[in-house]
Amino acid sequence: MGTMGLALPWKARISSAPRERGTRVEPSEHFGGGANPAAADATSEDAALAAACRSGDLRAYERLYALHGAKMKNLARNVLGNTNDAEDAVQETFLKVQRSIAGFRGQSSFVTWTYRILINTCYDARRSRLRKKEIASDDAEETPRREPRAPGGHPTLRMALERALASLTRHQRDVFLLYEVEGFRHAEIAGMLEITEAASKNTLFQAKKNLRQILEPPRPGRGAAEIR
Amino acid sequence: MNGMNVTCSDRDRIFEDGTVAEWAALEAHAACCAICAEEVRAWKALSVAAEGLRHCTADPAFWPRIERALAEQAARKAHRAGLRRWFSFLPELSLGWQTVLAGAFAVILALSTGWVYLHRSPNGGSAGDPSLLKSKALKEVESAETAYERAIDKLAAEAKPQLDNPATPLLANYHEKLQVLDSAIADLRAQAGLNPSNAQLRYQLLAMYQEKQHTLEEVLEARQR
Repeated sequence: MGTMGLALPWKARISSAPRERGTRVEPSEHFGGGANPAAADATSEDAALAAACRSGDLRAYERLYALHGAKMKNLARNVLGNTNDAEDAVQETFLKVQRSIAGFRGQSSFVTWTYRILINTCYDARRSRLRKKEIASDDAEETPRREPRAPGGHPTLRMALERALASLTRHQRDVFLLYEVEGFRHAEIAGMLEITEAASKNTLFQAKKNLRQILEPPRPGRGAAEIR
Repeated sequence: MNGMNVTCSDRDRIFEDGTVAEWAALEAHAACCAICAEEVRAWKALSVAAEGLRHCTADPAFWPRIERALAEQAARKAHRAGLRRWFSFLPELSLGWQTVLAGAFAVILALSTGWVYLHRSPNGGSAGDPSLLKSKALKEVESAETAYERAIDKLAAEAKPQLDNPATPLLANYHEKLQVLDSAIADLRAQAGLNPSNAQLRYQLLAMYQEKQHTLEEVLEARQR
């Protein structure tokens, strides 16, 4: 069978990539059953962090930033498309956490709750940016300016993926970014987006299927050959 | 591998929610199935490509900005808490009691408004405006006016013969003046009928009656001379 690959930059990137990355399978990682000391440690650290933040200790917020600041900013940048808006969203998230920590009841983990606030803040920012754009309709700039990123991936591939992500539904984009880019587990994503784990898995599957369709170059003769 | 047998039709299910064993079986199947091999490769390629969107570099200059914003917000919160302490003499009331108090306040407010509405002047007048007459004063003014008018009418009846046939140009002038005064009095009375509480109109009416009274007295004096 011929090359059923994606556009050329993909191939260049794939060859040098670690094989394990694509075979991340959750059941073996997170559903081992029985007491998991690492998970218990993480839970107690999460609870301690929440308690310290609730007490108003700024060092606790600094710890939260040290643990998740870069990831939060990265996620915000992938949703919002530029660093300035991403930083504003992360700062607003920290302020919202400080304002609402008294109402945090521990139904999800503190970090999951924080990311949920971040995602909502990002979409609020997106909506407000769209409204501003509608008001200033004479501004001819149609697509959000995306800033150059630090070296790390193939630029053409990255840009193609960013464009493809923009055409996904909000839910599919969120799940893809959280799972594939930020490395969260489906259980965590379910908590952040207030969906079930099964929905998170299915949404990721749909997102990747759509991305493949968008990114793959059109090839004649496919489809009929694939179905068996 | 472990005896698990997968086919091409299992591929999407394994992509969505496959176990490690199922993935291993799919990879084994892909070794002899070109389509599945390509699908697996492309599927993993997406995950690899996603790494290009990761930019996990911590920015040391960013935390101080967040810290400053957090400290400012905490200071504002503390300030508000301080203000709240000023009202700490108020008892800590439960939501039920707060509702009862709010209801009682609303009832008092409604009763007060009703009382003010019922006891206000029927003509809508305001006690603070001296140019508007209250109902009692208005009745007194109207009765005095009526008595005054009757007295002037008696005077006019006495002067009527001279005025109807004025013997001198002076009497003719008095006659014309009285006609003008009667016309003005009629106008003022019409206005006062529309706006009975207007004291200003009553003063003007009184001045006209006084002028008519003086003119009639002068007519009667002219007859005696």
